[in-house]
Amino acid sequence: MQWAIVIAAFLASAVEFVEAFTLVLVAGITTNWRSSILGALGAAAVLAVIVATLGVALVTYVPIEVLRFVVGFLLLLFGLKWLKNAIQRYTGLKLIHDEQAAYEANLAEARARGEPAKPGLDTFGVVLSFKSVLLEGLEVAFIVISFGGSGAGGIGSAALGAAVAGVLVIGVGALVQAPLQRIPENSLKFVVGIMLTTFGTFWGGESFGINWPFSDLFLLILAALYLLASALLITAIKQRQSRVALATATSQATMRSQEKEVRL
Amino acid sequence: MNIILKVILAVYNFFVGDLVILIGVTLLMVILALIHFLGALAALRGGSGIILIVGVLATLVATLGREVIRPENRQHDAT
Repeated sequence: MQWAIVIAAFLASAVEFVEAFTLVLVAGITTNWRSSILGALGAAAVLAVIVATLGVALVTYVPIEVLRFVVGFLLLLFGLKWLKNAIQRYTGLKLIHDEQAAYEANLAEARARGEPAKPGLDTFGVVLSFKSVLLEGLEVAFIVISFGGSGAGGIGSAALGAAVAGVLVIGVGALVQAPLQRIPENSLKFVVGIMLTTFGTFWGGESFGINWPFSDLFLLILAALYLLASALLITAIKQRQSRVALATATSQATMRSQEKEVRL
Repeated sequence: MNIILKVILAVYNFFVGDLVILIGVTLLMVILALIHFLGALAALRGGSGIILIVGVLATLVATLGREVIRPENRQHDAT
C-alpha cells in the first residue's frame, strides 16, 4: 500500500465529491431521492468502469518508461492547474467557491422548471445527478489512473483513497442533508495541487533517467520546496494587490479633490 | 468541424485549461528529452533534476503572473 497515493487520491476525491454532492442534493430535493441516488450510482459505476478498463489497459500494455512519462506529464498539468486555482483564491484573484451559494443557485434553477415532485423516477433528477457526479468525478478518475501508472499497487491505493472519500462525503452528507460548507475546499485543493505537482515532477523526472537523491524520500523535499515557493508567491501577490489598491484609492481621492477645486 | 473544435476545446479545458501551463510543461519535457537523448547535451544530464524543478516553478510563476496583470484583475484590485 502506497500511503502518499492513498492520501492524495482521498483529498482530490473529497473536494470533487463535495461539489458533486451539492448537485445530488439539489436533484433529491427538487425531484425525489430515488432518482437522485440512481443517477449518482450510475455515474459512479461509469467512473469505476473507466478506471478499471483504462487503468488496467495502461498498466498491462504500455512500457513503464512511457507510462512514467505520461503520468508525470498529466500529473504536472493537473497539479499546476489545481495549485494555480488555489493560489488565485487565497490571494483574491478568484472568488472562493461557496458551496451554499452554488446550492441555492442550482436549487432556484431546478425549481424554476415549475414541475411538482413525482413519486416515481424523474428523468430530470436522474440526469442532473448522473451528469454532476460524472463530470466532477472524471478528473479524479484520471488522477487515479495516472497514479496507477506509477508502479505496482498504485491504482489500488488511489482507488482506495477515492472510495473512502466517496463513502465519507456521502455518509456525512446523508446525515446533515445540507451542502457541506465547512469542508475547507480551497485548502484541500492547495494540498492536492502540491501533491500532484510533487508526484508529477518525481515520476516525470524518473522517465528521463533522473535519479533523485534519497530515493522516495525526495518526494517530501519536493513537496516542502513547492509549499515554500507557493507561500512566497501568495505573499508577493497579496502585497502587490494591496499596493495597487492603495495607489488606486490615492489617485481617486486626488481626482475628486481636483474636481472640487474646479467647481469652486 | 464545429463539433470537432468543441470536442478539442472540451478535452483541452478538462486536462489543463491554461495555455501557459500546457506550453511550460510541454517545453520542459522537450528540453529534458533533448538532454536525455542527445549525446551533445550529455554534460547537462547531471542537472536535469534542477532544470525540471526550476522549470515547474517558472511555469507556476508565469501563469500566476499572467493572471495578476490581466486588466479585469486590475479593475478588481481597484474595487
